[in-house]
Amino acid sequence: MTGVATQVRRARNTSWLPVSFALAQRSLIGVLRIPAAVIPLIAMPIFFVVAFSGSFSRLSSLPSFPTDNVLNWFVPFAILQGSAFAGFGTGFATVRDIETGFYDRLLLAPGSRVGLLVGPVLASLVRATFTVAVVLLFGAALGADLPGGVVGLIALWAAGLGIALISTGWALGLVFRVPNQRAGPILQIGIFFSTFLSTGNVPLADQTGWVQHVARVNPLTNILAMARQGFLGEVTWRGTWPGLVAIALSSVVLWLFAVTGIRKLTP
Amino acid sequence: MTVAVLDAHEVRIGRRQAVDQARALARRSVVGTLRQPQVWLPGLLFPMFIATVNTSTMGKAVHIPGFPPVDSLLDFLLPASITQSVLFGGLTAGSDTALDIQTGFFDRLLASPVSRTSILVGRLAGASVTGALQAVVFMVVYGIFGVRIAAGPAGAVLLIVFAMVLALVIGGFAAMLALRTGSAEAVQNVFPVTFIGLFISSAFFPTELMTGVYRSIARRNPITWMVDGMRHQVIVGLDWSEAATSLAVAAVLAVLAMFGANRALQSRLRRAT
Repeated sequence: MTGVATQVRRARNTSWLPVSFALAQRSLIGVLRIPAAVIPLIAMPIFFVVAFSGSFSRLSSLPSFPTDNVLNWFVPFAILQGSAFAGFGTGFATVRDIETGFYDRLLLAPGSRVGLLVGPVLASLVRATFTVAVVLLFGAALGADLPGGVVGLIALWAAGLGIALISTGWALGLVFRVPNQRAGPILQIGIFFSTFLSTGNVPLADQTGWVQHVARVNPLTNILAMARQGFLGEVTWRGTWPGLVAIALSSVVLWLFAVTGIRKLTP
Repeated sequence: MTVAVLDAHEVRIGRRQAVDQARALARRSVVGTLRQPQVWLPGLLFPMFIATVNTSTMGKAVHIPGFPPVDSLLDFLLPASITQSVLFGGLTAGSDTALDIQTGFFDRLLASPVSRTSILVGRLAGASVTGALQAVVFMVVYGIFGVRIAAGPAGAVLLIVFAMVLALVIGGFAAMLALRTGSAEAVQNVFPVTFIGLFISSAFFPTELMTGVYRSIARRNPITWMVDGMRHQVIVGLDWSEAATSLAVAAVLAVLAMFGANRALQSRLRRAT
């Protein structure tokens, strides 16, 4: 008996990396097999680019608006929204696995639980990279430019990956606690509130009232600033580090939420 | 003396009975909606939240040259919020029809001596009454925050009538989809389409300040024609011509939607026999 327990413990301690890669690969194949899963990754951000830049094109004439080209403002915003959906996608896939009983089999297997958390993250990061590439190309085709060059692109990509990391933590933490499809609206409300109550539409200086106060302390405001730098001018350390700190702190909080969640899921 | 009505399912019903049945089904629809706050509350809170946030984040946009003359962006957004809320509420009515089919209630109605037309009329009348209630709630809440309807009580009545007709439009299309598919999920999948339709219109920002292809699409969007007519009553004053345009567009769409829903109903009845 003790021998079996030792073997299981050893298996859990040694095999998280292959499990992570296998789960990430499975998640990505799932995207290819379910075309509807591409909609939030690509179609939604592209719609946001078209709708926001079309509807609110004249916002660029506001006094504090930092660019004449409204696409330079909204393309990074849409990319970060798509990156958030990349994280949610893995959350929805986990719900499906829990409902079909596949997740129970994963929990019973003598593999590491770490792999069950790292696998979805890897999948989210790949999905987010896909979103960054496609939406950026679409934005460029419409007329967005990136005066910040390669460094600006790296800042945008890092922000996209950061958002995917955060949203995966939020999604997994939630679906481990609400392991059914009802988690979906709660997941979306989270991103909906955080994006609307930030500098998504206009800069802080052009906002008024309570929303301005909320946007000032919203971590997404700093991450957006980091992502937008390359579109608005040169990338600076001063414009980057608050975004990195926001990603790090949000990730710690939401990944604690996920880790404690998976513990609740297992007896 | 009652006049016998022979409908497609060979049910002989008096005209007065048919009206009574439609009224009872409409009442069931309204009460059913009111009893489920999780159904109607998001339809009220979501547009209010968007309007609140937009007023705070884009409130300074009202000073951009070309923006219609308003005291606050909230004035501009009142008709948009009503439209948004009614569109979401109408989809709920369609989902309820699909749920009636999924749970077997629809079959029980067919097995009973109920006028077939009353089933549809009752559901749409219920959606229309709910639409009127939504319009009243928005006018009261936004009124508390300082929005005044320039056209006065007549303008308020026009907004309520508009909401009722718009509820018939979206309720009719949603019921058509529900009767064709029998799936509440299929009806709910229309949500992004209504959202896109609303966004590519003058609902949240004036078309005068849009540019290029987007502007020309928004100008041709029926939602723009409807919202602009009602907005005129809120921010400028009573204008029967603008109101008539808005209501006429909504009425034409409502007729088309009800025609489609009725055909879907007849088709389902044929399949049921």
